[in-house]
Amino acid sequence: MNFVRLWYKKSGLAVYTSHLDMNRCFTRAVRRAGIPLWYTEGFNPHPYLTFLLPLPLGTAGEREPVDIRTLEDMTPEEIKSRLNSVLPEGVEIVDVTQAKDKANEVESALYEIETVFAAQEAAQTFAREAAQIMAGGSLEAEKRSKRGVKTVNLCDYVFGFDASSNGKSAVFRTVLATGTQNNLAVSLLEETLEQRLGASPEKCSITRREIYKTGRKLFE
Amino acid sequence: MYPEKLEKYLLKVQKPGRYTGGELNSIVKDKDSVDISYAFCFPDTYEIGMSHLGMKILYALVNSRDDARCERVFAPDVDMEEIMRENGILLYGLESGEAIKDFDIIGFTMQYELSYTNLLNMLDLAGLPVRSADRHSLTPIVAAGGTCVCNFEPMADFVDLTMLGDGEEVTMDLIDLLKRCKADGKTKEEFLQAAAQIPGVYVPSLYDVSYNDDGTVKAITPKCGAPEKVVKRNVADLDSMFSPESFVVPFLETVFDRTTVEIFRGCIRGCRFCQAGFINRPLREKSPAEVERQCRAICGSTGYDEISLCSLSTSDYLGLEELLRSMLPWANENQINVALPSLRADNFPKELMEQLNTVRRSGLTFAPEAGTQRLRDVINKNITEKEVLSTCAQAFAGGWTAVKLYFMIGLPTETPDDIAGIANLAQAVVEEYYHCENKPKGKGVNVSISLASFVPKPFTPFQWEAQDRPDTLIEKQAFLMENVKSRKITVSRHVPRTSFLEGVFARGDRRLCSVIETAWRNGCRFDSWEEHLKFDTWMQSFEDNGLDPYFYTARKRDFDEIFPYEHMDYGVTKEFLRRENLKAHSGQTTPPCREKCSACGAARLNGGVCNELRKAVV
Repeated sequence: MNFVRLWYKKSGLAVYTSHLDMNRCFTRAVRRAGIPLWYTEGFNPHPYLTFLLPLPLGTAGEREPVDIRTLEDMTPEEIKSRLNSVLPEGVEIVDVTQAKDKANEVESALYEIETVFAAQEAAQTFAREAAQIMAGGSLEAEKRSKRGVKTVNLCDYVFGFDASSNGKSAVFRTVLATGTQNNLAVSLLEETLEQRLGASPEKCSITRREIYKTGRKLFE
Repeated sequence: MYPEKLEKYLLKVQKPGRYTGGELNSIVKDKDSVDISYAFCFPDTYEIGMSHLGMKILYALVNSRDDARCERVFAPDVDMEEIMRENGILLYGLESGEAIKDFDIIGFTMQYELSYTNLLNMLDLAGLPVRSADRHSLTPIVAAGGTCVCNFEPMADFVDLTMLGDGEEVTMDLIDLLKRCKADGKTKEEFLQAAAQIPGVYVPSLYDVSYNDDGTVKAITPKCGAPEKVVKRNVADLDSMFSPESFVVPFLETVFDRTTVEIFRGCIRGCRFCQAGFINRPLREKSPAEVERQCRAICGSTGYDEISLCSLSTSDYLGLEELLRSMLPWANENQINVALPSLRADNFPKELMEQLNTVRRSGLTFAPEAGTQRLRDVINKNITEKEVLSTCAQAFAGGWTAVKLYFMIGLPTETPDDIAGIANLAQAVVEEYYHCENKPKGKGVNVSISLASFVPKPFTPFQWEAQDRPDTLIEKQAFLMENVKSRKITVSRHVPRTSFLEGVFARGDRRLCSVIETAWRNGCRFDSWEEHLKFDTWMQSFEDNGLDPYFYTARKRDFDEIFPYEHMDYGVTKEFLRRENLKAHSGQTTPPCREKCSACGAARLNGGVCNELRKAVV
């Protein structure tokens, strides 16, 4: 059995695919690619394929990890090219590596939020005022978790926030708590800022760019 | 691809993946590279429509032509409809995102009477008038096919034409004709008159219908050279027929998310309530080699790990053993589960049964349909209590503990004994379990009864029969509940309001068009969904249009009454159906086609089991 970590990029129409649907999509792609997967040996055998970090519906991903276990020894290049020839549009394997870090080591991730406005001025205002709020260190919102809804200061989950504007777009690059221990949904931050500042963008697209472990080191 | 305008709303609706397109194996063609654009519409949500085999076949078929493109269209759910209406977004094809009002053909597949309002709603969302007479240009032509078009009179004012029977050949003929008419600058009327000459094409506007004082049909008169009878299309050879090698693979989980391959069309059984069993005659089989080839091709192109072999009665497939012996080793090696719906397990080789179950095990279901042998003879349902019990005993010994039994209430000649018989049969299954020596240890048995309401359908021996009123059916349901004595038996039933509406439209006439339009304008859609059904609005719509719905359901017809669908010809003759009706009332059964030909009339159509029998005679 070989432990393989796939890294995929999710963009375009594929961002409307939920986590569970991505799971099915990958299982089928691996079958189409003719990569023999190791099946679990329980009562209801299923192929071993694990997404380390769910990507929220609507969010694109630059480099997202999936672990599989294969029965045949294949080179990373072979796995990558076989999968890319059968994956649907918007899902692409960018790298195939050995799994180095464990899933529970993920601590934070870099997100890019781009909001497009009807006018350039609105974009500039949104970027400027958002930066002020985040610098102030206080942004309260109701956060849902398994234990219920509670009001938290979102800034406690934000480890970096950089705002700029570019034409009609306001662009935030922000590092957020991500993972099983401590997590902030990026859409909650964006929506709260929108609400607080009374902004109404035409369009909003979010991309997860990088995933980090302790010390802001790239998760590998 | 979706229209750009929609993007900012996509994350505000349930399951946006329904509306984006871009799935694996979807075929995107440029409008300017083809002569004919075909919008294939399914009048229900994406998850249901994407499970439909007919759509997969016709999608691949039309797209196999260089001069045509086919795009998929589904009914937007109510949340999406609201957004589309508020923002002026027109109904679009999933492949291009282009509005379907600019397509050449808008074709609906109609499988269920309760999706009629969805057809109107989709035309309206497309920005088109719902009535055929209000759409004046040559294109788009609004067409319909599928089971319901055997009597599409209640929808006659809305569609321009229907296609009867198998769609593979007639769809191609229609595209050819429209392509010529477009090139020659013909009018819509000229096209429709020419289309009526294509076998299997019905143009409702070319027929005048008159009525007697009692509301029954007096005469149906064709005009402009339209045929007296429209004969359904029948593909004779399933092996050489077009079959898709790949399916669009949805991102979302759909109702039937798997490889589906037909093993045959038609049925030899002749259960007297079953419309599919009569309108799809004669039975035509696909060869086992061809079935296996298609299964392998589709699994390869989709990555599906489940195959469902599809037909009206799996056990009647002559090549079943040959197919499974050849295909199961491949399936097991590749972790592919093979499902055989409606398999009769009684004389099925045990070793094959075991191989079938190596990947995943499905439930055990029977459809006795009626509670007593007497009533089963009336409906010609060829299954005995002994067979049910002996198969259950086998299954219990093999580790099964759950059995599902399908029944109908409201069947012709039904008495309280027949209804009590349903409970008794379920009880007998429970007792069989406790008598079974090899039953699974420490587990109870669960017998679930699924209760449907009988709806008389056109082209069946019961097309003359009265349908029970909803309140009668509710009483019968309650009577059954009184007779269920064991807690091991669960009964699932539903309020028979949908069956009532289904019954009205199944044998309804053209006057119902205005009722359907009124109901739709007053907000009816997704009527088959219990949470969306507005029953009072429907009843009000009947009243507003001066029609009594019980005229269509609760009335027993005379044998010489002219049906609203008298001008449709599905092979089986009215005389045969009349004979079958009389036999039903005297409790006589009719053998399956392979045992003895009953001269149903379908042999006039080409191919299938009729030729097989002829060869045997010669």
